[in-house]
Amino acid sequence: MADLTHSVPRSDAGNRTKPNPVLVVLSILGKTLLPVFVTLFGLAALTFFIGRMLPIDPVASILGDNATQEAYEKMSAALGMDKPLWYQFGVYVKGILSFDFGDALTTGKPVIDDIARVFPATIELATLSIIIGTGFGIPAGVLSAMYRNSWLDNAIRFTGLIGYSAPNFWLGLMGLVLFYATLGWIGGPGRIDFIYEFDIEPITGFYLIDTAIVGNWEVFRNVFGHIILPASILGFGALAYISRMTRSFMIEQLSQEYIVTARVKGLSWARTVWIHAFRNVAVQVMTVVALSYAFLLEGAVLTETVFAWPGFGRYLTNALLVGDMNAVVGCSLLVGVIFVTLNLICDLLYRVFDPRTR
Amino acid sequence: MMTNRFSKHKKAIATAAAAALLSSIALPAQAATPASALVMAWNIDAISTFDPAQVGEVVTNELLQNTCDSLVDFDPKNESKVVPLLAKSWDVSEDRKQITFHLNEGLKFPSGETATAKELAWSMQRVVALGYGNAATLTEYGFNKDNVKDRIVAKDDNTLVLTLDNPYPTNLILQAIGANRVSALLDQATLTKNEVNGDFGNKYLATNTACVGPYKLAQWNAGESIVLQANEDYYGEAPKLKRVLIRHVAEPGTQRLLLQQGDVDIARDLSPDDLADLDGKPGLKVERVLKPQLFFWTFNALDPVFKDEKVRLAMRYLIDYNGLGQSVMKYLGVPRASFAQLGATGALDAEEGQPFKLDIEKAKALLTEAGYANGFEANVLIGTLPHSAPIAQSIQQNASKVGVKLNLERMANAQLFARIRGREFQTGMLAWQTGVPDAHGNASRLVYNPDNRPEAKLTQIPAWRSAYQNEEFNARVKEALLEGDPAKRNEIYSKLQKDVMEKGPMAIMFQMYNILGMSDKVQNWTWNGFRVYYDLASK
Repeated sequence: MADLTHSVPRSDAGNRTKPNPVLVVLSILGKTLLPVFVTLFGLAALTFFIGRMLPIDPVASILGDNATQEAYEKMSAALGMDKPLWYQFGVYVKGILSFDFGDALTTGKPVIDDIARVFPATIELATLSIIIGTGFGIPAGVLSAMYRNSWLDNAIRFTGLIGYSAPNFWLGLMGLVLFYATLGWIGGPGRIDFIYEFDIEPITGFYLIDTAIVGNWEVFRNVFGHIILPASILGFGALAYISRMTRSFMIEQLSQEYIVTARVKGLSWARTVWIHAFRNVAVQVMTVVALSYAFLLEGAVLTETVFAWPGFGRYLTNALLVGDMNAVVGCSLLVGVIFVTLNLICDLLYRVFDPRTR
Repeated sequence: MMTNRFSKHKKAIATAAAAALLSSIALPAQAATPASALVMAWNIDAISTFDPAQVGEVVTNELLQNTCDSLVDFDPKNESKVVPLLAKSWDVSEDRKQITFHLNEGLKFPSGETATAKELAWSMQRVVALGYGNAATLTEYGFNKDNVKDRIVAKDDNTLVLTLDNPYPTNLILQAIGANRVSALLDQATLTKNEVNGDFGNKYLATNTACVGPYKLAQWNAGESIVLQANEDYYGEAPKLKRVLIRHVAEPGTQRLLLQQGDVDIARDLSPDDLADLDGKPGLKVERVLKPQLFFWTFNALDPVFKDEKVRLAMRYLIDYNGLGQSVMKYLGVPRASFAQLGATGALDAEEGQPFKLDIEKAKALLTEAGYANGFEANVLIGTLPHSAPIAQSIQQNASKVGVKLNLERMANAQLFARIRGREFQTGMLAWQTGVPDAHGNASRLVYNPDNRPEAKLTQIPAWRSAYQNEEFNARVKEALLEGDPAKRNEIYSKLQKDVMEKGPMAIMFQMYNILGMSDKVQNWTWNGFRVYYDLASK
């Protein structure tokens, strides 16, 4: 994936002649966008060629086992698979430039439409997960660092270890057995109860937002009851990572001399930690959060499977299993775009939050 | 110091804990399905179109059978019998080469337009014109692009005439074509209106249905759910349940939870373990029916070892039919060695159709006769079907006792099919499903091989994939097909099945079940190996 290390721009203080502003803009655009395009092109090429070389026969998976050779060859030609690889790739890239990623073999619809359908479900889940993961993970990490080696630190680290090592698949099933089947606190698998499914007017594709916009709180509650468990489980995984990283960043800061100085000055412990130390690690924590978010947006296939969540991860995995390469390459490009975009956003936030880069 | 600092943060910790609790607020679970609807959990990933000319997988086939009536229907109680559906009756010419169907009156498409034999003729000609896999259903009986317009003709609004090139058994034609999705009556006007590049409305049918049937497709969210709605002006008896709701659930464990919670009435993809566990639980029942699918171990006759029929026969004695049938396969299928599935016209009964049992001594003797007293080494390709691995391992263990070393190679199903279709294998395990409840269905695929040359590429014929051709068997398959006397026909099949079991290119092992878990609120769930009748179910 894209490089997540960030370099601090060098100062141009010695430069006296003012450069042409158009050229400056162009050069900035070039510096930012060119690597993006090269990355995405490389990704498309790699996925495309690997996909075509896999010993999987997409034609057989569309036509089924009974198809005659004639039907087989007809479909093969219709998919352009009788042409040389470089030609197929050329056609594909030409399509991409006009946002045509081809039709998915499994659904018979344009890949871009499929992604537009499945992605909101994943974004909604990932966003709630990252809110849970960050909301609990950062405070937990900071507390852990503050009370290093105390029982609280141990408890947080132990919980984190579970989040790290327990498979989401298992946690999901256990969660369903406990909260859905035994206690009946939450809704079951799926994004919403069947009886409400067709009550939702798709506005944004995010059920929580769509129901909130029209003020349909009954359905909103139902949707919330469905999303909370998968989001908590994914959030738990994110929490484990975020709290662990936050802890180690904070431990480093808390051992610095300026902390002692601040304490000697008479600042309260809480103020020292949150205002002084945490501010210094905020940028690093942000990278961790962004990275976690990107991973969540890729779609968590096992969690999506257990919760019958019609999201991106399941779509991509299904496509992989049947050798639906149009869908696979389209999805891979999207994942690439997500990482690159979050990377760029991180860069921008650095400039805002880190005084050294101003 | 530590406790002091800690106390300052008590508030924060308490808040966090409260938030954690709040985030799992108790929400009432929905625990009953609507009384007027059937709710199913099912893995519906495979759906890619609702075009009867293109559909080739079981999920969409079942949905089409309940949304698109065909000319005739399988009798719910006896799948080898045919009963009226779109056609209320039919006459057969003396030479058996012409069948005249008299359609019901008052057929209507969901659009409100009247449906006639003309649209039906168009729909059937369309299958051949489009040339997808399903075209073979018609081309096999002599229809092709050049003659189909003359051989499938609407004489008037209620009469359709089918002209055949040979005097096939009428019942076979009714099963193969009449009760098949290729004779679904499509709304020609709607499809022509939505035609793209001369596709006969194929694109339109990717997301719609446009036919005459008890239900219509009301909603489909790919990978999420399907809603079938009863057709108001259906010509037949109105369905008992107004709606059929299908929720896509891929994970069997999740399906089980939904079923136990009462959030679905039926779970279609439960694992054998779950089925065993749920069987007999109060409020639930397990329903099963044999389907026309055989699971077999196929041998490549081009292979120097497996070209010997004695070796192939020896392998059959290494299969623990009964042991596997009572363990791994208990909820999956029944032992079956004959190519004709139980329930088909001409099939041997359960006992005669499975004469083998695990017999290491016999296998050893056969191998010695074949010149492999010390055994050999061979590869077995298996796919991702859950029962493939345990069956293959059981055989592997038995084989080791006669010096045969079997190496199991597991791969994705798509890859397995490609290897087998390309004859790039020594042995492999996979399933095959036939479309007709007649011995001819499988005889024409698992036995008959008209051209064994590699360049013939008859990849749709498993016998060709095994590179197996027996001219004598070929002749008997053809003879049985055109035999007019049912008793004689059965006799030919009976002998053929016994011979093929001894010599054939594949060791057929099991006939599979269609099996599901169901709430006992559902009554009259009706199905056979070829069809599920949603319209008869009630609650």
